[in-house]
Amino acid sequence: MNTLKDKVALITGGASGIGRATAMLFAREGAAVVIADINTEAGQAVEQEIKTAGGKALFVACDVTQARDCQQAVEATVTAFGGLDILFNNAGIVRRADVLTTTEEEWDRVMAVNVKSIFLMSKYAIPHMQRRGGGTIINTSSGWGLKGGRNAVSYCASKGAVTNMTRAMAIDHGPQHIRVNAVCPGDTDTPMLRGEARQLGQPEQEFMAEAAARPLGRYGTPEEIAEAVLFLASDAASYITGAALVVDGGGVA
Amino acid sequence: MRGLKDKCVLITGGAGGIGLETARRFLAEGARVAILDRDPTACQRARETLPTLSGTLLADVSDANAVKRAFDELDALFGGLDVLINNAGISIRHAFLDITPEEWRSVIDINLNGVFYVAQQAARRMWAGDGGVILNMGSTNGLTGYHYYADYNASKAGVIELTRSMALELGPKVRVNAICPGFILTPMQEAEYTPEMRRAFEVKVPLQRLGTPADVAALFAFLASDEAAFITGQTFVIDGGEIAGGLASQA
Repeated sequence: MNTLKDKVALITGGASGIGRATAMLFAREGAAVVIADINTEAGQAVEQEIKTAGGKALFVACDVTQARDCQQAVEATVTAFGGLDILFNNAGIVRRADVLTTTEEEWDRVMAVNVKSIFLMSKYAIPHMQRRGGGTIINTSSGWGLKGGRNAVSYCASKGAVTNMTRAMAIDHGPQHIRVNAVCPGDTDTPMLRGEARQLGQPEQEFMAEAAARPLGRYGTPEEIAEAVLFLASDAASYITGAALVVDGGGVA
Repeated sequence: MRGLKDKCVLITGGAGGIGLETARRFLAEGARVAILDRDPTACQRARETLPTLSGTLLADVSDANAVKRAFDELDALFGGLDVLINNAGISIRHAFLDITPEEWRSVIDINLNGVFYVAQQAARRMWAGDGGVILNMGSTNGLTGYHYYADYNASKAGVIELTRSMALELGPKVRVNAICPGFILTPMQEAEYTPEMRRAFEVKVPLQRLGTPADVAALFAFLASDEAAFITGQTFVIDGGEIAGGLASQA
């Protein structure tokens, strides 16, 4: 229960889904957790839940596409908990549409939330990690950051970018003892996944049944992705950097 | 790691290097561990180093009949198998133009055929029982080209594709993954490399060091544990960032 004792973690998109599950797990493992999210109500609820369980948490309202918000989230983390060891760049959105039906605004929005946010958060977080003598960054990519998928062209492009910027960041910041890895979830039971059924105009039950069609015969849970993020954040992964850890029940095997 | 306590674990090539360190890690996690190795002296040393080992099985993984006999012994020992660490392998440094048919066959026999013989024996038991986890030893050499190890590289690429195909057929009962270590400093290599040679390599790796057998053992423990319950059919690179970039990154 003390895997992350005395560590400070900042999690974007921490108010729901994979981010929320990771915030809860990190707190149980002894980390002080900052939840950065655009959804204040849900974010504050996660903060409260962690505190009630005896953990350390802080919610920071943050639009991860805005440089100033990202900088403030990092500063708030350092002010509250004295430093920053772990950055989980997890905030993301999906638009289920092909090139013909994706608008320019939707394209820009997906790239800003899924890719630019990682650039911005890392830009402000890394100097603090250097000051601590090292740290670790985990970026949420996707199985669709490794393979193509149907009716999700902006999302696939954004997650491909996440996978490769992870490698580039690992190369740049390895010598400063900052490990940078990606986690690539497959279909995971989150509000975002269920939202895809609505975007595609498909009955949710039918969509979720399709999501379960993979070697393990089911979709993943946010808690299962959180366990993989914990592993990458922990000292057990001390020689792993620039890697993409796929957690998808065999979906892209 | 969650879910490793009292599990029955078999580690091939378990008498030395990464295999032995992995045995130590699983014992520390509370698992029951048997090792399979072709070297009787090394097995004896392993029993002395790790007295809590449940057993040592003598077999050359490239001999399908010997593997079958070893699994008969394992049945008597454990009565089942939860986790297979399919780790045994060899490499020979030689130029492609110099590889003899005998060398080629010995590398493929141990690294690819051996992985298959052991995995099939293990999978049959897991399939008939409560399921399990198979972790195959790949290598970053199975993902990118590399000088002077053409036979080894081909064998490891084969292991990676075998892993994916096994995951498709053996789900949902058996999870199958491969790990791809980069340069891991085993006692054998420690003796082989001068400090200068090591340093020359270390500066090319983003984390600026070689991996340790304990680093690899930790990844095996995670992938075998319940914490990785949704992970199958994948290859996991553990290389300090070595292959994150191409030549341009190795300034």
